[in-house]
This record gives sequence, C-alpha cells and structure tokens, in this order.
Amino acid sequence: MSKPDYIYVVYIQAPCETVWDALIDPEMNKEYWGRQCNLSDWKVGSRWQHANYDDHSEVMVLGTVLESDRPHRLVLSWARPEHAGNPDKVSKVTFTVEDQFGASKLTIVHSELDDEMRNAISGGWPPILSSLKTLLETGEAMPMTRRNWKRNA
Amino acid sequence: MSKPEFIYVTYIETTPDKLWHALTDGDFTARYWFGARLRSDWKVGSAFEMVRSDGTVSDAGKVVECEPPRRLAYTFINLSDKYKNEYPALATFVLEPYGKLVKLTLTHEGFVEDGKFYAGISKGWPAILSSLKSLLETGEPLQIPFEALKMEG
Repeated sequence: MSKPDYIYVVYIQAPCETVWDALIDPEMNKEYWGRQCNLSDWKVGSRWQHANYDDHSEVMVLGTVLESDRPHRLVLSWARPEHAGNPDKVSKVTFTVEDQFGASKLTIVHSELDDEMRNAISGGWPPILSSLKTLLETGEAMPMTRRNWKRNA
Repeated sequence: MSKPEFIYVTYIETTPDKLWHALTDGDFTARYWFGARLRSDWKVGSAFEMVRSDGTVSDAGKVVECEPPRRLAYTFINLSDKYKNEYPALATFVLEPYGKLVKLTLTHEGFVEDGKFYAGISKGWPAILSSLKSLLETGEPLQIPFEALKMEG
C-alpha cells in the first residue's frame, strides 16, 4: 500500500548552511518549534530525539539519522517513542536544502505515514516552517511557536 | 485515483486587510509574483488576468468568490499552447486571523489528471507565497528569478 507523501516547500532568504544549522540547533529549534528541540550528534546511524527543550526526558519523537550531508540533505526516521518498535508506525522525513541565487529552497518530504501521524504533521509543519522562515529573515520567530506546545508534534 | 489538488498553508505576521491588499492589488503583486500584475475589478463573474511586465496577458480566468478580507477565489489557466488541452482550475484563498498572525490557506483544484498545469503551479505557489511572506514581514521580496523554478516553457 502506498500513500501519498506529505510535501512542503518554503524559500528562505538565508544561506543553505544557516538553514541546515537551524534544523539541528536546539537553541534555534526552541524558538520556532514550540519550545521543543532536536537532539543528536547527527552522524549517520546515530539516534536522534525530538524533546521538550526544558526537560529532555520528555521525548515526543525519536528515530535514526539515515543520511546527514550538511548543508543539503538530512534524512531521519520518525516515530513516537511508544511506537518505535513497530515498522508500520515509523515514518521518514527528508529535508533537502538547495541554493537558489543566495536564498535557500527547503523541501520537506514526510513519507511512510499512517493516518494518525499524517493528521498530526499536516497541522504541524506549516507553522513550524513559517516560523523558521520568519526567524531567519527577521531575527525573531513567531510568538505562537516560542511557547511550549503540549505533545502534538 | 483522485484528481490532483494543491494545498499550501502559511502563517504571516500581518493583518487580514494588508494580506487582502497584497493578494488583490496589481502594483503590489508585481513586487513578489515574478513581476505579474493581477488585473480584475474583483466582482464575482468578472475577468481575472495576470499581466506580464511587457503588458501581455500570461494567464486568464474569472472571479468566483470575493469576500474581503476573508475569502477570495478565481479560476485561471496559462494561455500558452502547452496547456491548450487543459482548462482553468480554481484557486481559493482563505485568510484567518490567528493571534497577531494571519493563517493563509490556498487550495488549487479542478485540474485534469496528469496535466502539465498542475505540475507548473505546484512549483510556482511555494515560491510566490514565500516571497509574499518575506515582503510583508521584512519589506523585501525574495530575490529569486523565475528561471530558478525550472518550469518548462
């Protein structure tokens, strides 16, 4: 069974390296991702976690770093902690960052989704990525993404 | 197989009135829409046109809904021969206040299956709406030439 991927494209007036670093830097994550952050050493094969910035033991999403090629490509497996052992519940996120005349084209493809995760991420990626763009272009993220979000990622 | 539909959601730090103006004022659209000036009197049933900087019309259709500053819908099709076997598809913009932001939802639907026009607009909208967000939030649109989208024709 193959279901359509979730795809979101946003253009950001910033170099690719800046966009890449913003995806994995907890200090930046917390500003545009509801005070949550991404934790890993970002080496291929390493574990990664998406957690509450103020309490890293509160983990919302975890997985494995499948590809890590700064500043152009980052591929992660993505599951809720309670579902990490169930292959049917593990999805995949591919971030691609391409240079566009000094700006960056950021493409997120979220694939291998079940209905529940599709619903969750379809509402999540647009505010997160809108706020990432605002943060990198204006220096300040959107207020709604700087507050703590209850686990809805 | 379901017919293709393009949906894009973005959050912009602006007001519904400013966003409405940005979507309907030709002088303003020319700044972020790869130079395209939208031309219409915005009455339901009236003609809708995209005008290039040299004065020629690239795309044409009709206004279907106009409820400032909440809801705008129009059909259009690109007039090049490439799309001569396709027909105008419906683009609907919904503007919702979201705290100090506006949530903008674009739904573009009514394409022929496997049509070229759908492929074209799927590349165009993320760049256009990213540039719109930059212009409203920073005062400057994105500096990406149309050729960067790699649309054929």
